[in-house]
Amino acid sequence: MTVREPAWRVTAREVEAATEEERGVGEKVASYLVSPFGSRMNRVLLAGTLTPAEPVGREDPPTFWRARLTDPTGSVAVTAGSFQPRAMAQLRAAAAPRSAIVVGKLHLYRGRDGAPQVSVRAEAARSVTEVDERAQLAEIARQTFDRLDLVERLERLPTAPEEELRAGGSPPVWIRAARASLQRFPQAERAAFRAGLKGVVRRVAGDLGPAAVRPAVPTSVTVTPDPAPRAPSPPPSGEQRSDEAAFLGLVDELAEGSVDGYADLRELLQRIAARGVASGRAEAALNRLEEEGTIEEPIVGKLRRA
Amino acid sequence: MASPDPSAHPAEVRLRDLGPATSPVEVVARIVTLERREVARRADGARRALLSGLVSDGTATVRFTWWDPPREGVERGEIVRAVGAEVREFRGRPELVFSWKTRIGPAGEAELPRIAPDEFPLRTVRELRSPAEGFRLEARVVRTAERSVSVGEEQRVVHEGLLADGSGSLAFAAWSDFGLRAGEAVRFTGAYVRLFRGRPQLVLDERATVVRIEPTGLPEPAQVLRSPPRLLGELESEPSAEAVAVEGTVVQLVPPSGLVYRCPTCRRLVSGGLCRIHGEVAGVADLRARLVLDDGTGSVVVAVDRPTTERLWGTTLDEARRRLQDQPDPSLLEESLAEAVVGRRLRARGSIVRDEWGLHLTPEAIEATEVDLETAAEELARRLPGSAP
Repeated sequence: MTVREPAWRVTAREVEAATEEERGVGEKVASYLVSPFGSRMNRVLLAGTLTPAEPVGREDPPTFWRARLTDPTGSVAVTAGSFQPRAMAQLRAAAAPRSAIVVGKLHLYRGRDGAPQVSVRAEAARSVTEVDERAQLAEIARQTFDRLDLVERLERLPTAPEEELRAGGSPPVWIRAARASLQRFPQAERAAFRAGLKGVVRRVAGDLGPAAVRPAVPTSVTVTPDPAPRAPSPPPSGEQRSDEAAFLGLVDELAEGSVDGYADLRELLQRIAARGVASGRAEAALNRLEEEGTIEEPIVGKLRRA
Repeated sequence: MASPDPSAHPAEVRLRDLGPATSPVEVVARIVTLERREVARRADGARRALLSGLVSDGTATVRFTWWDPPREGVERGEIVRAVGAEVREFRGRPELVFSWKTRIGPAGEAELPRIAPDEFPLRTVRELRSPAEGFRLEARVVRTAERSVSVGEEQRVVHEGLLADGSGSLAFAAWSDFGLRAGEAVRFTGAYVRLFRGRPQLVLDERATVVRIEPTGLPEPAQVLRSPPRLLGELESEPSAEAVAVEGTVVQLVPPSGLVYRCPTCRRLVSGGLCRIHGEVAGVADLRARLVLDDGTGSVVVAVDRPTTERLWGTTLDEARRRLQDQPDPSLLEESLAEAVVGRRLRARGSIVRDEWGLHLTPEAIEATEVDLETAAEELARRLPGSAP
């Protein structure tokens, strides 16, 4: 039986924390992201403030859009591509941030540094009234508390029988998810997460206006890893400059005389040694010239002016 | 032929007591279904006639195979007495074989085994989720309605409704009028349970008896019809449910929804001018919506009829047809309906059946869910750490 995956009612914070992947094996088997707080999700439903979408990539017209959904606990990227035309149109529809609910599938991306990023691939992104947003947040908070209670109960009593948990109102999917959470995140900070739901409860009560809960989060952020700090190299000495000049002269000479237009590195090093330049100094000059971009080595052992 | 030795004469056996050890047996039973076939004998290819089907004596229903039956004169509904029938076991269930050793003759209604009501085991609704017979059931009649159906050429009235006990609810269909009224507590004997369109149904025919009893311990009809919503994630582990309420958010509209065309005879959807059963027909326009309602633990496809679709959409059938004349792209109509329903929070009550794709709900009532945000916020605040218990 391939039953449709339920849309887990979750906060942005729980989505951000759902970094453990459970990959389905076989045909048409769903994959899940497990959070530390009792969810094992394929599909989710979030409510909050949705920013206008920005195109991703260089295609014209753009075929992939990204927006951010912010609730009182955090924010999460919401994407839609041309394979979800309805969701893409809904994401692009707004020019200003608005109250919205988003239904979609979770997607885990690990950058080159291994840092996990969870986003929502939207199936539906609907503008709703502020009252509707608060009603959805009330449901999200209620179910999040229920799942947290279940995880904590299982943590205290790992052998609690399934029938007893089900009699307590926990459906089988939640029990399975709670067990997965405990297994994947034995050390999770669940108390802090529970406390973090305070903002959601206040939002349900209408304490904060939509403007106040909207942190200034840019739609997209490009993260560039900082290059390792490097000591500024001292300016080259007169001797070094003359080595380089000799080097460049030889490159030109050899390139001129060769069939393919390149200076052969071995021949170059022999010639320069014949001029009385020590091999260490020759290598250093070569490296400097390559670093400056004056010469390049497109083929190993073949040099030319850049 | 010599009269059989009384000591070797097998005792008359009830079908529920059949077992290989009891063979040969004498039984009295009614033929419930009947099929005439011929099989080729492997040795010489000679053809041999056989009858097969189901017989029932009110305690159980079993398959039978009747080798070399009379050419004619065996009918459905007939009661027969079979002396010297063999009992075989097939897939763990007993079957009867009538062969040349078996003497079969007609029998009367009075010869069917008479069973005292208390001989039948008492069952609860929860225990009657799959085909069953030979039990007693004590339940409350929740509601009843009459329906006229055509059975072959004949028009018959069937009294349908809902029963409930403390363990759950069960649909019933009475083919005789037992005068059942909503609110009555009754004991049923001689009824049986079959699956009808995926839903278990208690069937009462002329062999069933109904006795009024004290309603002690049985739920009030109102309790059953106003039960609180249940989680879809729970219902996914049950094969079906009656008069059940669920609550969730519409997360998808399943096509084809919106303006559809139905066969004028059977009301099936017409696709490309063709009905699956009646071939080429002139489709009759109708509105419908198939909503995926999701409550965070599971989902159900709700089949919404025209009046409710009109109410949810704010567009009538006539308006939808007119809009199709202005812009002849039907997918825009469906898009407009999706726009109107996706994201809505709804409560639906009705019967739910499960198939390989999941749950399907046939609604009796659909309404918007109202939430008192102030109360909700207070309740939620009590679950934050540091709040007084």
